Amino acid sequence: MIEVQKVSARAGRFSLSNVSFVVERGNWAVLLGPAGAGKTTLLETIAGVRDASGRVLLRGKDVSSLPPEQREVGMVYQHALLFPHLSVRQNIAYGAKDERGLAAARELGVESLLDRPVERLSGGERQLVALARALATGAEVLLLDEPFAALDPRRRIKVRSALRRMQRERGMTVLQVTHDFVEAGLLGDVAIVLENGAVQQVAPPNVLFRAPASATIADFVGAENVFTGSIEPAGAEVGDAAATMCFRGEGIELYAVGQRTAGPGHAVVRADDVTITTAGTVTSARNVLVGEISEVALDGVIARVAVRIHETTMMAIVTRASVEDLQLRTGTPVTAMIKATNVHLC
Amino acid sequence: MSGSRATRLATIGVAVGAVVLLGLLLIPVGTLVAHGGIAGLRALGTDPELRQSLWLTVITATAATLVTVALGTPLAYLIARRRLPFASVVSAIVELPLLIPHPVAGIALLLAFGRASALGAVLSRVGVSVVGSATGIGLAMLFVAAPLYVSAAREAIARVDQRYEAVARTLGDGAWRAAWRITMPLSLRGLVAAAVVMWARAVSEFGAIVILTYNPKVASVLSYDRFTAYGLDSALPVAAVLVLLATLPLLVLRSLRNEPAEASA
Repeated sequence: MIEVQKVSARAGRFSLSNVSFVVERGNWAVLLGPAGAGKTTLLETIAGVRDASGRVLLRGKDVSSLPPEQREVGMVYQHALLFPHLSVRQNIAYGAKDERGLAAARELGVESLLDRPVERLSGGERQLVALARALATGAEVLLLDEPFAALDPRRRIKVRSALRRMQRERGMTVLQVTHDFVEAGLLGDVAIVLENGAVQQVAPPNVLFRAPASATIADFVGAENVFTGSIEPAGAEVGDAAATMCFRGEGIELYAVGQRTAGPGHAVVRADDVTITTAGTVTSARNVLVGEISEVALDGVIARVAVRIHETTMMAIVTRASVEDLQLRTGTPVTAMIKATNVHLC
Repeated sequence: MSGSRATRLATIGVAVGAVVLLGLLLIPVGTLVAHGGIAGLRALGTDPELRQSLWLTVITATAATLVTVALGTPLAYLIARRRLPFASVVSAIVELPLLIPHPVAGIALLLAFGRASALGAVLSRVGVSVVGSATGIGLAMLFVAAPLYVSAAREAIARVDQRYEAVARTLGDGAWRAAWRITMPLSLRGLVAAAVVMWARAVSEFGAIVILTYNPKVASVLSYDRFTAYGLDSALPVAAVLVLLATLPLLVLRSLRNEPAEASA
């Protein structure tokens, strides 16, 4: 388990301010945030290589006053930081307590590199060796700073899966920095969003993507449609738990389900939740918006379609087949439909 | 004036300036070696006083360098990693001897370690004499040249990415063990270069030594002694041999610079 309580730290122009969160034992947490958010500083603080105030608990034990060598964490930096005066084998064996180093090297497919000097490794190979070196310590807590960034896509898939398997087998708790939302969705049991040194949201990745806590997070996690306006109640309450809310802004009106304080706010809609039709508008969808296609961008089997609605543009993702069947072209009049349950207000 | 003509004139100006400066540096040394080089090499075989003074110079300079490496490397590390309170004050103290005229440094050492001083009395009681001894020569060399070592060593250590140590610590090393196993090997070339520069500076020291220990004579004092007592011809071979001795560290430094750059991420 990794528990961070009100941690504040400063590292040059990066700082952390009152950061708190918990990653349960055996979970894989992904740390998301724009460049300069303080992600690496946070990992370093947990590892104990950077001074900080607040408390860090690992495996349920307060390690705030312990030096890094007593915290028993494995840390992998983005640039691998292999010791250049040692061979690959010596790097992996550096902190190894038993044969786990070789086992990790085998699992990650770097056995053939063991006798190579470090300077003859590619960026991806370096990251694999750095991972093997961290795993070789047998640490239960693993802190990874973009560990797959330099791997080619095929190898990344293999390594991710091998590491996930090892993590489950050993019951490791992992905190990983990533900028890859697909990776975050694949690996993360929980996602932590850090911005300007503060935690903005802690939630499972699917919740984070569907229901970001703010427009900034929505933007950051790649929500295609983020509108600014005002929110007010619309319609009858259903019991005490849910209500229909109405968002107005940027020339559109969107209905959403859920409780939300009235006032200024944002509406977030994922592009793959937008349905497009050229025919009638009889539908169960609560939001029916009439507009005109301003752009169709084909991307393999899918297409990103921009629909101009009054003052704003709504992005939709449809299949290439739909583009052809409906003959979607720039200037085609269309209707965009979104279920109220797919509109997130924040 | 057209652009290309201005460029040509600027290039010529820079080249002339470089040639003038190189001439100012090379002509005196070249003339000295041309006049006394052969005689100096011959004197190595026939002049026992010269051999003795060279031997004394090399031994004391080497001893001063080794002591400085042993004491100065941890200090350089602490300054480089900012693990000292008032690190900038400590740096200033270390660099202070570089700003003091060397005869003044000799006087300061004489006052601090001479027989009349409290420290000198204590040392004398344990059989160590600083004035008029090889110990005094080594001390004078250390005083004037150690700052060069500590400054250069600090730079070499600071060039090693601190995160290497951070990784070593997460792999189980304590702070000093990580410094020993990681930072020292990675900064080794810079540390050796720093030691070579210090050794060369110690070999060429005159001002502080001559105040503290005129006899036994190191090579620089011998060359001065012969110049004042017997004239230029007598001093030339000693001076030329000293110049040749100074080229050794230059060669070592050049070979170190030709190796691949130090590690940093």
